Amino acid sequence: MDPQGASSFYFRIKPKVKGGGKDLIAGKQDLDDLIKGTDFDNLDLLPADFSFRNLDLLLDDKKKPTAQLKKRLKPLADEYDWIFLDCPPNISLLSEAVFSAADALVSPIIPTTLSLRTLAQLKDFLDQRGSKQPQLLPFFSMADRRKKLHLEIMHTLTLEHPELLATVIPYASDIERMGVERKPLPAYAPKSALSKAYLALWQEILSRIG
Amino acid sequence: MPLFYELPPNLPAEKFIAKLGQKLDLDVLSRQYSLKTYYDSFDWRLFRKGLVFEYARAKHESHWLLKALASGQLLASSACQDAPGLIRDFPPGKLRGQLESVLEMRALLAVCTIDYEAYSIALLNKDEKTVLRLKLEAYDLFNTRLSLLPIKGYDKALENFCRLAEESFALTPGFRPVMLDIIEQQGRKPKDYSSKLTVQLAPDMRADVACKYLYSSLLNTIKVNEQGVIADLDSEFLHDFRVAVRRTRAGLSQLKGVLPEEVSARFGEFFAWLGQISGPTRDLDMYLVNFENHKRSLPVAIRSDLEPLYAFIAAKKQKTHDELVKKLKSPQYLSTLSAWENFLKAPADKIASEPNARLTIKELADHRIWKVYNAVLKEADHIHSGSSAAALHRLRKTCKKLRYLMEFFQSLYPEQPVRELLKSLKEFQDILGSFQDCEVQEQTLKLFSEEMMAAHIQANTFLAMGVLIQVVDSRKSKARQAFAEKFAEFKQPKYRKLFEALFAKSLEQL
Repeated sequence: MDPQGASSFYFRIKPKVKGGGKDLIAGKQDLDDLIKGTDFDNLDLLPADFSFRNLDLLLDDKKKPTAQLKKRLKPLADEYDWIFLDCPPNISLLSEAVFSAADALVSPIIPTTLSLRTLAQLKDFLDQRGSKQPQLLPFFSMADRRKKLHLEIMHTLTLEHPELLATVIPYASDIERMGVERKPLPAYAPKSALSKAYLALWQEILSRIG
Repeated sequence: MPLFYELPPNLPAEKFIAKLGQKLDLDVLSRQYSLKTYYDSFDWRLFRKGLVFEYARAKHESHWLLKALASGQLLASSACQDAPGLIRDFPPGKLRGQLESVLEMRALLAVCTIDYEAYSIALLNKDEKTVLRLKLEAYDLFNTRLSLLPIKGYDKALENFCRLAEESFALTPGFRPVMLDIIEQQGRKPKDYSSKLTVQLAPDMRADVACKYLYSSLLNTIKVNEQGVIADLDSEFLHDFRVAVRRTRAGLSQLKGVLPEEVSARFGEFFAWLGQISGPTRDLDMYLVNFENHKRSLPVAIRSDLEPLYAFIAAKKQKTHDELVKKLKSPQYLSTLSAWENFLKAPADKIASEPNARLTIKELADHRIWKVYNAVLKEADHIHSGSSAAALHRLRKTCKKLRYLMEFFQSLYPEQPVRELLKSLKEFQDILGSFQDCEVQEQTLKLFSEEMMAAHIQANTFLAMGVLIQVVDSRKSKARQAFAEKFAEFKQPKYRKLFEALFAKSLEQL
């Protein structure tokens, strides 16, 4: 979903999709034909494309725009156990389409005042969807325990939002090396504290979504 | 696109990798010493269904892999620790499901093991992204195998590699499991065991010579199954062992005047004894093999109550099996079987002394089959709704004699009509077998319950067994009701004429 193609870059996959976002949303291309295998077993990727910057507009032209993504993803259900959608951090028509398609919404929260507002907004927005909302799973990311403000916000927010995951992803420079290594963190720093934190996060997500 | 290649003998794996490296960007991800064991049932059930099953072991990981024999396509796999055995020990899943449907009650046994160097190689594009994976298996004595593991969305890379493999390296595409090379080197062939009797006889063979030939084949079946019976690898070793014993016995009693009388008498008695000592274990095996079916015939709510019966039968079977093993290791068994073997190996007398030994085997076969066929019709005609279970059992035994004779001598007759007659006989036998099995099951279940009472088994189990007896009884009644219809089918003029045409010819000559 990211027109800048960060994941595609990290996985060394060309950020190009035949027919671009237009054909994708129009259903002219079978999603399965556009998917590329990564260098890691059982992990495939639908590459990004620069035209994805217009996904909001493309969706807006369709009838029932927020149902489109779910419809496109449905045929993949037999082949994949999990589908992860990497979404831009905003609330747009595309985000709404994601909310319709997803079972769970894993949202990283940087412990700052601004993120606090964002989480509240996101919750309000999801609540408007009534029973049709994905399970919200926020977690703290880039947390710096040396900063007093981070600690305070994390403490307050945890009390106010029991749905927050207990695992905290710390701020670490290891993650920035991803752009140099062009592979996922556990592939170049498998024993780092950060890799362990991500693994713990995944285990916690699994236990939450049952 | 082909996914498998075999490297020529003059192209070792290391050399191939070095040469390939000059043409393509590649990364040798790993090279490790590995072991591979191929498994199948004793009667090659997987191979016969076009499947190969491997247990591949390396230092850090082991896998069970089920592949298609012709294409090498991976059908199911599972990471594992242990060597395979009985299917019920496998974790539930796709692999177990596929194996179960083919193997049924047969155990997986190691066919052969081989060690090799396994290379895992990644072919890279200019972004150093893996676009194709290669797996090389380098064996000491056999050609190196190359498998291609395509990456989704990189079809072009696969196409380019195949072109390179075939044009620059002159590799021939194709999948041939190394198992075939190994067993060929051992002087074996796949499917070298079948429980079916496939003796080829010539019509003008002297009857005694042909019979010795036949008995030798049956003796071989007894001997090859013997160790599986003793080790109790699965229930079918004993089954095949007993069928060969019964066939031999039927031959000795049905083909009189062929072998010297004292020989027929001595070994007839021996094979009767063998049948008798192996019977109880087989009966209990049948319960264990069919236990899930028995359970499923009960209402869901009481199915689990039947479990103590399984444990009881399993323990009882263990005991009878121990006794059987003792007897199969006894001097009586070993020396008599060896005497039988020596007798069969000894050349036949130049001039046959026994009256029927001088006949050709075709004459003898015609005569016996026709006679026993008529005996079946006569006995079956006397069966009515009030006939005793013993009368039905006697008829079943006569049918078995006919079946064995027809199977012994099927190579003497045109294939198609004999197969058709055997099929109709088998259908008739099935109904008699079903009746007899139910009759025995009812009686033994009653006996088991008496023995289990003494072991203070919970009351619910007896209740479930009571329901099972009812189910069995209703099956028995259905079998009896179906008798008349099945017999009418068997004795219909079409088959009668066929029997007459095939077997009644030499009647007047005897």
